[in-house]
Amino acid sequence: MKENAFKWRAMRLGVACFGLCLAGCIKSQETDRPEARVRAGWDNYRRGEYSTALKDFQYAVAHTPQKSATQLAALYGEATIWHLRRPDEDLVRAALLYRQIIECAPTSNEAAWSWLGLARIKALPIDGENSELQSQLDAYQAVIDRFPFHPAGEESFLMQQAAKLDVWDVNRTREVLAALQHFVKTHPQSPWLSAAYDLMAHCGTVLGMPDLRLDAAIQSWKNAEIDPANPIRDFSWTYWKLATIAEFEVGDFEMAREYFHKFIKESPADQKVFIAKQELKRMADLENRVQAERAVP
Amino acid sequence: MSAAPLAFIKRNYALLVVSAAFLWSGLAILCSRHQEIPAKNAIVLRLGHWQLEAGVREAFSAMAAKYHELHPDVTIIQDAVPETTYGQWMSTQLMGGTSPDILEVGNGLPYNVLLGYYNRYFLTMTAAVNQPNPYNKGTELENVPWRKTYKDTMRSVYVEEMQEYMRIPLSQFGIRIFYNKDLLKRLTGRTEPPGEYRDFLEVCRQIRAQRDALGKPYTPIAGSAFHVTMWDMMMFDPRTYGALRRLDFNHDGAVGNDELFVGLKTGRIDFSFPSFEAKFRMLRQVTSQFQTGFTGLGRDEAVFLFAQQRAVFMSTGTWDVGSLYEQARGAFNVGIMDFPIPTPDDPEFGAISEGPVYDLPLVGFAFAVPRTCKHPEVALDFLRFLGSQRGNEELNRVIGWIPAVKGTRVSPMLEPFNPHLEGIFPCMPVTLGGETSIKWQQLHSLYQVNQISYSQLVSEFLPFYLDHGDKEWDEMRRNARRGLARDDQFLAGMRAMAEGAAADEATTRWIKYRQMVASRILSRGLNWALLQKRLAEGVVTNAVAPYEFSPAVITKVRNRLRASEPSAAGSSQQKERL
Repeated sequence: MKENAFKWRAMRLGVACFGLCLAGCIKSQETDRPEARVRAGWDNYRRGEYSTALKDFQYAVAHTPQKSATQLAALYGEATIWHLRRPDEDLVRAALLYRQIIECAPTSNEAAWSWLGLARIKALPIDGENSELQSQLDAYQAVIDRFPFHPAGEESFLMQQAAKLDVWDVNRTREVLAALQHFVKTHPQSPWLSAAYDLMAHCGTVLGMPDLRLDAAIQSWKNAEIDPANPIRDFSWTYWKLATIAEFEVGDFEMAREYFHKFIKESPADQKVFIAKQELKRMADLENRVQAERAVP
Repeated sequence: MSAAPLAFIKRNYALLVVSAAFLWSGLAILCSRHQEIPAKNAIVLRLGHWQLEAGVREAFSAMAAKYHELHPDVTIIQDAVPETTYGQWMSTQLMGGTSPDILEVGNGLPYNVLLGYYNRYFLTMTAAVNQPNPYNKGTELENVPWRKTYKDTMRSVYVEEMQEYMRIPLSQFGIRIFYNKDLLKRLTGRTEPPGEYRDFLEVCRQIRAQRDALGKPYTPIAGSAFHVTMWDMMMFDPRTYGALRRLDFNHDGAVGNDELFVGLKTGRIDFSFPSFEAKFRMLRQVTSQFQTGFTGLGRDEAVFLFAQQRAVFMSTGTWDVGSLYEQARGAFNVGIMDFPIPTPDDPEFGAISEGPVYDLPLVGFAFAVPRTCKHPEVALDFLRFLGSQRGNEELNRVIGWIPAVKGTRVSPMLEPFNPHLEGIFPCMPVTLGGETSIKWQQLHSLYQVNQISYSQLVSEFLPFYLDHGDKEWDEMRRNARRGLARDDQFLAGMRAMAEGAAADEATTRWIKYRQMVASRILSRGLNWALLQKRLAEGVVTNAVAPYEFSPAVITKVRNRLRASEPSAAGSSQQKERL
């Protein structure tokens, strides 16, 4: 009788252990799926756990069919780590992996971002100094030529223009302005329009074209993206910028007043409110002075 | 009693006393812990902070009890850790996965480390702060997004590098002058503190002229190396505001150290600029009222002088209100006054005094929720409770601090801390790089203790600054470029998150990504390029200052006004008809 009870208890214990093992295995299989490891890789990357992230991506590369979407994603993750981890980066290995992705699936999403990755390697400063401009521009151009309407291609285009504007050069700025004007015409639906207009406004400053600068700044504001999850966007900085351009560069005091008032309403606790109120008064003073001068026969 | 036990007690007397004390304390701890153990299935949240000032722990306990009344299954326990070890404590707790469920964040660690921690260990608050706070129901803030219910719209807790809100602030801070009401009356006959600058100096003179029973003179202002920075921030430095109109080349409403360097290097401004001189004159006049050798003294020594009634005035912030009142209890009455400002007709400072000093709404005392929190929704809900109009008012009422939420009542004692949201601010950021900063600190310290004059300070500093500034300018630029890899690193993570997100969330993620690319990568070198151009042009004598109206602008205004005159409109219509 006693022996039976003992056996019964042992059997129950065995079943429980088996159940536990099975649950563990199922869970382990779940987390060992390559797709899950790619996701885990990016989570670890964002936490700065580069070695763990690397293992995740390498596992996913080794356990997926050649050239499959998951393998490409894992390869891209691995390339990004070698490119951007600090310390212990390996730019040569990163470039090799980016090129491997491009070779495997030249028209894929990962290929587009890999081309941009290669360009960003070229753009990395060396001991704080800009790398050679022409090689940067060529690398960006390689993305633009292959993926002109892909997000990576559009981003690459803007990075190329920004690189050209890094040094004050009137002739080059004219080229950039023409390229940006062409971009906004040919990419009317691009989510990058606001950024493109911002660069155009900078061209206006360099070229001494205040009206162009003001128009571009307004277009940048009108094309600013609104996040549906956060629809109340704070535009106080934009109002401030438009007001100061209108006042000091264009001489359009009506517009300056409009945006200074919007700025004060949007951001009443901002340090710049005091300046805004002073400027409203100064504009009125100037107008009164001009009118007083005109009244003198 | 036999002799043996007595002898034993005599021999081991000290050991026995220590053992008894140990046993007693162990039992006391066990009993109090037992009382703290919540009921089964209850949710226990731990809250970690470094505020050991009077009132904070009591306030948290009171708010936890109120929350417990609303949610009987939730118990809040607090861990108050000294400020000096908070950074290390927080790091070990986070790394070990044993962190409290709600954690005060912002002290004891450099910003770049904190940024890494936010990424790795904390939950983002963005979604929560964009929704109305349910605890504001029935108030005018009922349907307002939570972040907009804050006096600073939660700007102080927005982490630009992450494009996320990471913490929830609970109090506002400010700096004012505390004074001994009784001593002021006894020494000067005044019942009200001086609000105007000349009057303040006169009161200080009267105080210095008085002697105590032992013949020792009184000190008008209790100062120290710690306190002088507050006077600098609130009184002297804002005098330099006038430089804004000469140096704010990019019209961003502030003067950067790069802009000041370009201004000094190209002759657009120099140290004889009236606002700069005024700052140093005022510094000399006010610090002459401090006790001798104040730069060598620490914070506590100044507080001691004030508490001992040897000094009448002392500057400090809201965080010290409770402690100072406690120290003065029964001995003297403490008053709080604003920093005195020169009147417009002041012979020295009137011309450059354009208004009061702007008070940046310093909102802090901010808490985050770590990823390891077992009940993040409950932790967030407790923060919503503390960050609601009623909750925030009550929390700060108990502590004796200023609430961070709009529409809350401030204790009458704290009313002088109400911030001036319009006014002048500092525009002379002299420090550029390592060598010029050290040189400036050395000379500034000598000036503070009256060992050199302003002209000596300038003649020693300016050539050094202009000479070494070129190297440091280049290094600043290199450092800015060195940050590129870090931005790329961060952006790659954001992009992967956007690519892997579900449709709705992906839209939000991509927008954040593009905003980050635009602000961090695309516009990185633009301002530098404009300043570099100004530097390359060399010394200029006739340039239009950033806030001056150029002749072209004045002509446009003239033409517009002429065109808008009725007679002008009428004559143009006549011309058209002809």
